[in-house]
Amino acid sequence: MALLEVNALTSGYGELQILWGVSLKLERGKLTALVGSNGVGKTTLLRTVLGLVKPWDGVVTFAGRDVTHLSPHAKASQGLVLVPEGRQLFSDMSVYENLEMGAFSKRARPHFARNLERVYEMFPRLKERATQKAGTLSGGEQQMLAVARGLMAQPEVLMLDELSLGLAPFLVLELFGILRRLKDEGLTMLLVEQNVQMALAVSDYAYVLEHGRVSLEGPSREVAQNKRVKAAYLGI
Amino acid sequence: MIDFLIASLTDGLLLGFVYGIAAMGLSLIWGVMRVINLSHGATIALGMFGIYLAFTGLGMNPYLTLPLLAAASLLLGILVYFVAVHRVIDAPYLSTLLATFAVNMIVIGIGTAIFTTSPRNVDFSLGSLSLGPITVTWARVLAALAAAVVTGLLYLFLYRTRLGKSIRAVSNNKAAAELMGIATSWVLAFSFGLGTMLAAISGGLIATFFPFTILAGGGYQVKGFVICVLGGLGNPLGALIGGLILGAMEGIIPAFMETSWVPVLEFILFVIILLVRPTGLLGSKT
Repeated sequence: MALLEVNALTSGYGELQILWGVSLKLERGKLTALVGSNGVGKTTLLRTVLGLVKPWDGVVTFAGRDVTHLSPHAKASQGLVLVPEGRQLFSDMSVYENLEMGAFSKRARPHFARNLERVYEMFPRLKERATQKAGTLSGGEQQMLAVARGLMAQPEVLMLDELSLGLAPFLVLELFGILRRLKDEGLTMLLVEQNVQMALAVSDYAYVLEHGRVSLEGPSREVAQNKRVKAAYLGI
Repeated sequence: MIDFLIASLTDGLLLGFVYGIAAMGLSLIWGVMRVINLSHGATIALGMFGIYLAFTGLGMNPYLTLPLLAAASLLLGILVYFVAVHRVIDAPYLSTLLATFAVNMIVIGIGTAIFTTSPRNVDFSLGSLSLGPITVTWARVLAALAAAVVTGLLYLFLYRTRLGKSIRAVSNNKAAAELMGIATSWVLAFSFGLGTMLAAISGGLIATFFPFTILAGGGYQVKGFVICVLGGLGNPLGALIGGLILGAMEGIIPAFMETSWVPVLEFILFVIILLVRPTGLLGSKT
């Protein structure tokens, strides 16, 4: 059974409907990608799954339980963790305090020391800058801190929104290397990306979102071979 | 003359600490949830009456009553937040302004009905302390000490404890805090409670050396706003420094002119700060 299951989810803002019945499944230990162009509802889907946007209809099931209407903090406390688009760090707080806040929930707290050691080992730059204010970090370092903060939350499912946005290619490669490593360690992830090529290369299974609907899904390798995907996203 | 000035300045600075913590409450609430709390003055008055009633009714030592007052006002603030503020927290500023103003009117209305608006004072004298040319009342020294201790504890709380850090996180980025598993509604309620507590404590301390009525809080609330703008809204340390500046002015100005000039000069300073440095002396963000 899938660890996280989204069933016929609809939502939007005010009168404006964005999602028109989206269904997807995250298998435990797999890296699932959700790709699509700008403005098709990828971020809205994440925000609705997490409860930052109220779902209009549909069901979100996590580990067999209906969590559709839980508040975002309750979902985070159960291990549904988002690394949001635009990093959304606590910019006035130090790097270390950001990591502390990542481990705020009861389930993450006991693992604080171990997780801290782990993210410092993954991102040595963060250790060097532990006492620096997050807002003073470079863009790449801020993205690393956002990922590290998410990992501090001891996630069951880690969702990453536009990880590569605005980053230099070598940093994108570094971060995707981290994703591979996390996948090998068995973490369940949902990667939401405009960088379709990278996302399909690193993921196991992929969904293509168009106009608030899933237009195509399948193993990433097959999706990457799809003619329309090639034409529309990969420029081949 | 010099001796007199030093004595007035000392008096004023001691008072400034107390103004400072009232302003810190306003500043904290604004910083965390972007609410201009117009019930602050009413809470200051409640603090005054809390100390007054405990002293005259039960014969309790005002200083030993403070921790009780702090606990009660913290709970009151949390209650006020959930009853009056939470439902309009995401609405435009005017809604929260009016909601807290409504709380202010309710408290003052009930207070007036019960206590009337006749002046009260806490007749609890500890005498004076003389250090060379300076003679100050113990009431002011203890009030300043208490305010300094409260400030120190507030800083330790905000920078050293998990809950305190979560308040700073919510203040910095509420959505991100929610995503990290922080129950932001409770953090906002608790912060409102802390702000209310600071107002009540300052009111309680003021009551130990100034007479007051149920309406007295309004004037201190306005001073609180001036202090916040001086120090930089959202910055607790700035609030303390602003409080000391205002206190010093209140000590020194009467040495040279009529006391009625004090508010005039305070507000001239207020306008100058707004013109020259609108983010306040220590303010970085608007």
